[in-house]
Amino acid sequence: MGCSSSLPDRASGRLGGLNSENGAVNDAKNLRVKLVLLGDSGVGKSCIVLRFVRGQFDPTSKVTIGASFLSQTIALQDSTTVKFEIWDTAGQERYAALAPLYYRGAAVAVVVYDITSPESFQKAQYWVKELQKHGSPDMVMALVGNKADLQENREVTVQDGIDYAEKNGMFFIETSAKTADNINQLFEEIAKRLPRPTPS
Amino acid sequence: MAEKISHLSHTLEPRRDAYGFALRPQHLQRYREYAKIYKEEEDERSEKWKNFLEQQADTSRNCWSERLHKERLPSGVSEHRDGTVSDRPAEGDDPSENKPSDGSTGSSPEREVHSTENLKSDKVPRWANVRPVLGAIENMMSFRIKKAKNVEDDLKGVNGAHLPTVDEVSHSGQTSEEDSEGDVELDEASNGSANSSNGERAVSEGMPLESSFPWREELECLVRGGVPKDLRGEVWQAFVGVRTRRIERYYQDLLAQEASDDEGKALDNSPAVPQKLKKQIEKDIPRTFPGHPALDENGRNSLRRLLIAYARHNPSVGYCQAMNFFAGLLLLLMPEENAFWALVGIIDDYFGGCYTEEMIESQVDQLVFEELMRERFPKLVNHLDFLGVQVAWISGPWFLSIFVNMLPWESVLRIWDVLLFEGNRVMLFRTALALMELYGPAIVTTKDAGDAITLLQSLAGSTFDSSQLVLTACMGFVAITEARLLKLREKHRPSILEVIEERSKKGRVWKDSKGLATKLYSFKHDTSSLVQETKSTERPEDVAADADTSHLENSSHLEDLLGGLAVDSEVDSLPDLQEQVVWLKVELCRLLEEKRSAILRAEELETALMEMVKQDNRLQLSARVEQLEQEVTELRQALADKKEQETAMLQVLMRVEQEQRVTEDARLSAEQDVAAQKYAVHVLQEKYEKAMISLAQMEKRAIMAESMLEATLQYETGQNKAHQAPGSAHNQSSVQETPTRRIGLFGLGWRDRSKGKPEESNESPQKEIGNRELEQQPK
Repeated sequence: MGCSSSLPDRASGRLGGLNSENGAVNDAKNLRVKLVLLGDSGVGKSCIVLRFVRGQFDPTSKVTIGASFLSQTIALQDSTTVKFEIWDTAGQERYAALAPLYYRGAAVAVVVYDITSPESFQKAQYWVKELQKHGSPDMVMALVGNKADLQENREVTVQDGIDYAEKNGMFFIETSAKTADNINQLFEEIAKRLPRPTPS
Repeated sequence: MAEKISHLSHTLEPRRDAYGFALRPQHLQRYREYAKIYKEEEDERSEKWKNFLEQQADTSRNCWSERLHKERLPSGVSEHRDGTVSDRPAEGDDPSENKPSDGSTGSSPEREVHSTENLKSDKVPRWANVRPVLGAIENMMSFRIKKAKNVEDDLKGVNGAHLPTVDEVSHSGQTSEEDSEGDVELDEASNGSANSSNGERAVSEGMPLESSFPWREELECLVRGGVPKDLRGEVWQAFVGVRTRRIERYYQDLLAQEASDDEGKALDNSPAVPQKLKKQIEKDIPRTFPGHPALDENGRNSLRRLLIAYARHNPSVGYCQAMNFFAGLLLLLMPEENAFWALVGIIDDYFGGCYTEEMIESQVDQLVFEELMRERFPKLVNHLDFLGVQVAWISGPWFLSIFVNMLPWESVLRIWDVLLFEGNRVMLFRTALALMELYGPAIVTTKDAGDAITLLQSLAGSTFDSSQLVLTACMGFVAITEARLLKLREKHRPSILEVIEERSKKGRVWKDSKGLATKLYSFKHDTSSLVQETKSTERPEDVAADADTSHLENSSHLEDLLGGLAVDSEVDSLPDLQEQVVWLKVELCRLLEEKRSAILRAEELETALMEMVKQDNRLQLSARVEQLEQEVTELRQALADKKEQETAMLQVLMRVEQEQRVTEDARLSAEQDVAAQKYAVHVLQEKYEKAMISLAQMEKRAIMAESMLEATLQYETGQNKAHQAPGSAHNQSSVQETPTRRIGLFGLGWRDRSKGKPEESNESPQKEIGNRELEQQPK
């Protein structure tokens, strides 16, 4: 008897799912975006991704070699979904030689620095220039100051970040992967700024 | 630290594997399943290796003695000549004492003692020789390195930057250099032409090994089956040729120089490790196998020294992320100085040019791998193209990390076994291809780029069947050989070099590495740029020249390139020809572009077709779904009907049951009534009996009274007769008659009444029971 009761539900659910799939062929509702994270070594690129995708924070995370991939889908208020295909790249300078492999064709680039390290802010500026030169012109770029929880060690002011981002037409936010501050907001804001395919 | 690991397995928390590495939670179950298999495999291979090594120990004593004896001699002589004898009086004093298989190891204790004496200040760096049993393997592998060194020495003439500190290190450094040179002279005949060209070198490399080491094949089989855990550290050292590579005190001197540089007093002119690299190393040390029990404070210090020493040893590489993992892994298996030489062997030699500033060889390898993928798995690559996934996205991290952190540890170590044995990067390619073969079919089913990559990552991450992986790699891709790879690398290197060149010239617009437009542009705008480019390619090559292989490849590649460009250099003298060449090149570019666009168009069409097929499938599917839906509805209807019937039946059944229960109740109460009535009857019976008894007594009494009365009467009559005369007798008889009648009447009447009464009381209860039974029946 329990079986009979759940059967119609499942059938109708499947039917509904199929309908929506057939109905929502317009990609304006379901976006798929390639996103690449760039920035100096140890600024917390992997931690931001892990926080966003798995909701975890591991203070003893491993060095990323080459690049690693994760994906995560979020739903926006206007009922569109955005699937982020995230490439988290290695931070050491020489791996920059391989970075084009990953940022080529990416719709979003997130350049991360560590608010306690002016060097990493310099490195972020290098990446922005690199992307302006070699990235695709309609790429959405975000500048992220991570480790915002370490206020007492701050060496890059918020204003510096805002100014540089504004000058380069980027979106700016300070985050903390440790406390999860602004992590989801970062990706939501990016999703809002994505160019939508015009429904024709 | 190597000893620590063997004890680890006992104290491990369940989240770490037998090597002390963290397991991902999603893999715990699989790992537990495989742990038993690993154990069995381990036992089996321990046995095999034991037999092999015993056999080796026997044969080497017999047939190797002569050859090795000869080999050792010149080195002994050179040491004498060098004047280092005073430093080490025990060694080389009596060459005849140096028994071949253990000749070198025989002197090892002295060496060790010696080096530790010298290094009382920095006590931690340690060195240990491998067990003598592995001597034969060490010797075989040392051929490879001696040859390499030979080439290296040649290189020094060209490029003095390599091993900058060697000359200043000590006499022992020179000794060992000469040592190797002396040895090499002996087999110069077999590889004399080795450094003239790559191809020849690749061929000749195998030759002396094959011919003079008949058991090489057997060893290869054993290696493919895996090296036993407790031998692994030493076998790896033998493979990499740690002892042959080692220059005594070199490691300690590197560290000492670095330390004195830090204090600000430079001892020599060798460059210190740049602060940037030191910072990077510092950042990465805690992020190397975090939480591994062996990487405690001491382990981390060893790791730091090792990486800094290497960075100083080879400034063209310095430190590259990924080396931290390699160094960490080596430190888990061997003492610190041994690990240093092993790392030197791997990074300088096997992976020469891969981890340098530009990472040229790593990029070249990716192009080579992509070509091999297209050749081997065209369908899979097509599918990946369709999804917009580049093979290098996934294979890049595999190659750069040599699969560390990409596969389960058992598999990583098995791959390293083979890779270190073979002494080149062939196993990287074979393993990557094997993974694609294993998981390609699954990847083809994916629908978007993200899914494909995620799937491949997670499948690779759970490749616990290490034997299957290694065998697939070694057996399934025999055609992938070092010679083949060398050729392919040569083919692809120019495009990488070109991109690097483009990027270094900041004015230029950077284009896709394959962008024909760029080539055309640079060609049209200054014809000499190509020549310039080839010149500039020499620079990065020099950087990579620490590895003899890459240098040789490059040099012959350069020749090729220069040969190809001979036309260009003659251009100035022959303007017509130049024009023709320009025209031809433009034409070629045009055609190539046409071809490219045709390919693109074909791809587009294919995509469209697939789209259509998908659409078609979707329509069919939805039709089928509708049909199924209808069926489901029907079935549901039927089910509902059945259910209704069932409910009705159940109701009837319940009603019947209820009735039955009521009847049962009634029956029970009736039975109780019966019992009560029976009891009442019984009581009445008893009363009746009592009454009867009392009646009988009364009757007796009555009879007695009657008889008494009669007797009294008779007595009275007798008295009357006696008192009265006969006259009176008449009177008396009438008087006598009257009471008798009265008594008789009274007695009979009473008797009758008392007799009728019990009969009545007997009858009435029976009547009552009858009545009740009648009453019950309608119920």
